[in-house]
Amino acid sequence: MTNPLYRDTAVVLRTYKLGEADRIVVLLTEHHGKVRAVAKGVRKTMSKFGARLEPLSHVRLLMYQGRELDIVSQAESVDTLAPLVSDLDHLTNGLALVEAVDQMALDREPAPHLYRMLVGALRTVAERSGPLVVPAFYWKLLASEGVRPELDECVRCGAEDPLVAFDVAEGGVLCRSCRSGASLSPDALAVMRMILGGRLNEALDLPASPITHEVAAHANRALEHHLERRLRTVAMFESH
Amino acid sequence: MAAYTTPVQVLIDELGRLPGIGPKSAQRIAFHLLKVPADDVARLAHALTEAKAKVRFCARCWNIADDELCPICADERRDPTTVCVVEEARDIVAIERTGEFRGRYHVLLGAMSPLEGIGPEQLKVKELFARIEPEGITEVILCTNPNTEGEVTAMYLARMLQPFGVRITRIASGLPVGGDLEYADELTLGRALEGRRDLSA
Ligand SMILES: [Zn+2]
Ligand SMILES: [Zn+2]
Repeated sequence: MTNPLYRDTAVVLRTYKLGEADRIVVLLTEHHGKVRAVAKGVRKTMSKFGARLEPLSHVRLLMYQGRELDIVSQAESVDTLAPLVSDLDHLTNGLALVEAVDQMALDREPAPHLYRMLVGALRTVAERSGPLVVPAFYWKLLASEGVRPELDECVRCGAEDPLVAFDVAEGGVLCRSCRSGASLSPDALAVMRMILGGRLNEALDLPASPITHEVAAHANRALEHHLERRLRTVAMFESH
Repeated sequence: MAAYTTPVQVLIDELGRLPGIGPKSAQRIAFHLLKVPADDVARLAHALTEAKAKVRFCARCWNIADDELCPICADERRDPTTVCVVEEARDIVAIERTGEFRGRYHVLLGAMSPLEGIGPEQLKVKELFARIEPEGITEVILCTNPNTEGEVTAMYLARMLQPFGVRITRIASGLPVGGDLEYADELTLGRALEGRRDLSA
């Protein structure tokens, strides 16, 4: 490798303990895609990295490229973590975002758009904790992956009204005669159209209700279907 | 990947399942053990089985114990109204070294990690709640690690403990975030304990 040293900014998606005091950090970088790197001595309380390499941290990095694992040489914060980790809802929402992105991003495959979406979403999560912050991000994530759900007409016959079901396997809404998947209320459909139709802020302001709950359930199912696995953060906090 | 004859490979595989030991370290330890005298290996094996057979968890606080109760719970002079909640028994050692704490402990046997699917059910959380009234606990100090998992756990416990009407405190943020509690020096940890802040409303 000719130039093994590189700079990038990144969000820490998750960390694993390594040996006595080291940690493997999984990063979504702006220009190098998802990268796994070793942070040496990070668990020692006098570590030069301090809190900068915890999940959800947004950091500017100096890294050495390795064969499988890169090595973090320097890290400085871009955004402070404090507003995220000082509130249980902010924190669990943030973790739900990074879990989804960790599953979505590919190793060393540059995804600057995904990176920018995540940074924006984490800043939102740090400021507000409405019931749709995470589900809205999931819908946006799916749309940016090219699997934007069809919300305007029945995916099977093209009928526009009444649309009564949402089927993740079909990738959209269905009319009464073609219905399959989960049932969909007109209110939830309206909110989903809001999220994907440029009225995101309006949707994020909605208070918790059976409608937001339904939208969240559809979003979780759609993302889990796309990723072909269960989302752990969702499963853990669903019940509380 | 059976690179070695079976008994060696079995040993390497078993060692590799220990926390913090990767395949390379497992291999190194295995070959070290094959080199040392049989007596040394027998002593190690004996220490392992003895510890496993004789050491258990304290029936009250889930600390390591060699009796029904751990030495701290068995000590009448400890203040039963203040309980310090830690992730692992080794954190008790770190806090005891400070000499700042005279109450009892509660070991969760881990921390919540939503990303790894570790929730309150997998930890000794119910067991903590069950102690509050019978033991007349008036203050719960949350001493989980100052990292993301430790914070999730502390905030979750603070929320769930609210209805009990006890004072809920969190060790001060003087501790460098990201580090493990067990690595904190006693002065810093002592100060963090002294400067704990109120989380109860
Ligand atoms: Zn139809
Ligand atoms: Zn005990």
